[in-house]
Amino acid sequence: MVKTVSIYIVFFFFLDSKALAQSKVEHRCMGCHIRQKIPSELIYRRYLMKYSTHKKIRKVMLAYLKEPKKENSIMPKQFFLKFPLKKAEDTNSSDLVQDIERYLEYLDIREKFVLP
Amino acid sequence: MWVTDMLQSEKRSLFRFLGIYLSSTFLLFFLATVIFYAFQKHQIIDAQKDKLKQEAVKITAELTLLHETFSSSLIYPYKEPFKSAIYNLDREYIFGSFKPKHLVWDKEAYQESNQLIYIHALHPYYLGASYLVVSTKLDAKPLNDLFTISILFIVIAGLFFTLLGFFLGKLFIMPMKESMESMNRFIEDTTHELNTPISTILTNIELMDALYDCEGKTEMRRIEIASKTLSRLYEDLSYLKLNHNYHRQIERVDFTGLLYDRIEYFHTLIEAKKIYLKVNLAEAITLDIDKNDAIRMVDNLLSNAIKYNRKEGNLEVTLTDEKLRIKNSGMGIKKEEIKHIQHRFKRANRSEGGFGIGLDIVGQVVKRYGFNFKIFSTYTKHTEVLITW
Repeated sequence: MVKTVSIYIVFFFFLDSKALAQSKVEHRCMGCHIRQKIPSELIYRRYLMKYSTHKKIRKVMLAYLKEPKKENSIMPKQFFLKFPLKKAEDTNSSDLVQDIERYLEYLDIREKFVLP
Repeated sequence: MWVTDMLQSEKRSLFRFLGIYLSSTFLLFFLATVIFYAFQKHQIIDAQKDKLKQEAVKITAELTLLHETFSSSLIYPYKEPFKSAIYNLDREYIFGSFKPKHLVWDKEAYQESNQLIYIHALHPYYLGASYLVVSTKLDAKPLNDLFTISILFIVIAGLFFTLLGFFLGKLFIMPMKESMESMNRFIEDTTHELNTPISTILTNIELMDALYDCEGKTEMRRIEIASKTLSRLYEDLSYLKLNHNYHRQIERVDFTGLLYDRIEYFHTLIEAKKIYLKVNLAEAITLDIDKNDAIRMVDNLLSNAIKYNRKEGNLEVTLTDEKLRIKNSGMGIKKEEIKHIQHRFKRANRSEGGFGIGLDIVGQVVKRYGFNFKIFSTYTKHTEVLITW
């Protein structure tokens, strides 16, 4: 009985933490992206195609978010004609790293794949 | 087959030739087949690897398409019998229809147990995939077929070259066979011509000895010795010639009595050479043997022991339940000559007459009845012949 309850607690805690992380991403990142119609998946796809691993993507994303310039961006110049250049983040690096991590988890390619 | 009609020397030559010819041919064919098998196996595996490469190209195209569409659910391209998986630049597993436990990244294509694995590098990294690993089960059927064909080839080539070897061997020993046959024909003709005069001489000597008190006893004895030598030679040559066709009558022979008779037969010869004879024969020793075989064996041993003895030498004949021992104080045989002395026409010493067929006959009789035949000799001292049964 105790064992079953413990498993339920762990399961709900896990679900809760995942939901919390998702809501944080939606609140801190995706809100703006949706409002300004900035295609997150397109950006993620571009990062994937160029850097392949989340480890590298995290690094270049952090560099861009700290100093958002066209030269630092992976997107083509024309992209910024349509979408505004992001303002530099004033959050400290550890928060930013966590946000990037949540953002990558939110879009993670591995979650999308299914076998026929 | 005709091999059974051959003489020992002919058989030996043929088998030596066949040994060298067949072993070198088999070695050559075996090496050629191994190289052929290895090459063909490589080709078959390469063809299967090519199929993996083609499949990898197809999967890459589908991954590119998935990357372009990037829908909420990406259906991974998976088609039997191929299995595949994609890895990122850090070689971390992304997704796939299988997840290999271990991969050899520094090889493009390799075989692991019965699986063929192909690692296809991708660039740009569509869907983050830097490597596409495609695998399939090795199709063993063409390899098994190749193995069967290779074995069949070796067997058929082996049979063909064995037959060819026998044919070539026959050609190879033909001159030797012809010269042996002509020698045998010569001996046959000579013995046939000798038979009648020898019989006449011996019969007349016996008659003269019985009927007349002849004055020339010494001369008569010499004629008798010479005639008996010729007679024995005739018997030996006839024995060798008829050996294969001769119908043997195996019976219990009083070997002690036979030995006494043959010693008596050689008495004139022994006396002429003033040899001291020491006879020690056990009573009533019998052997199951053809009488003519026994006579030829004993005659040749005694004849050699007398012929190759010193004047006024010793001759010991000993017979027990299990052995016959004849020892003389002759010129002996050199150590290196002993193992060849039993071969036909081989004579250790040419100072005495003869064809060198005596020990060949003894050897044949001994072999036929499963006796043991040993010669011990000290050169210039003595020779001892021992036959055990």
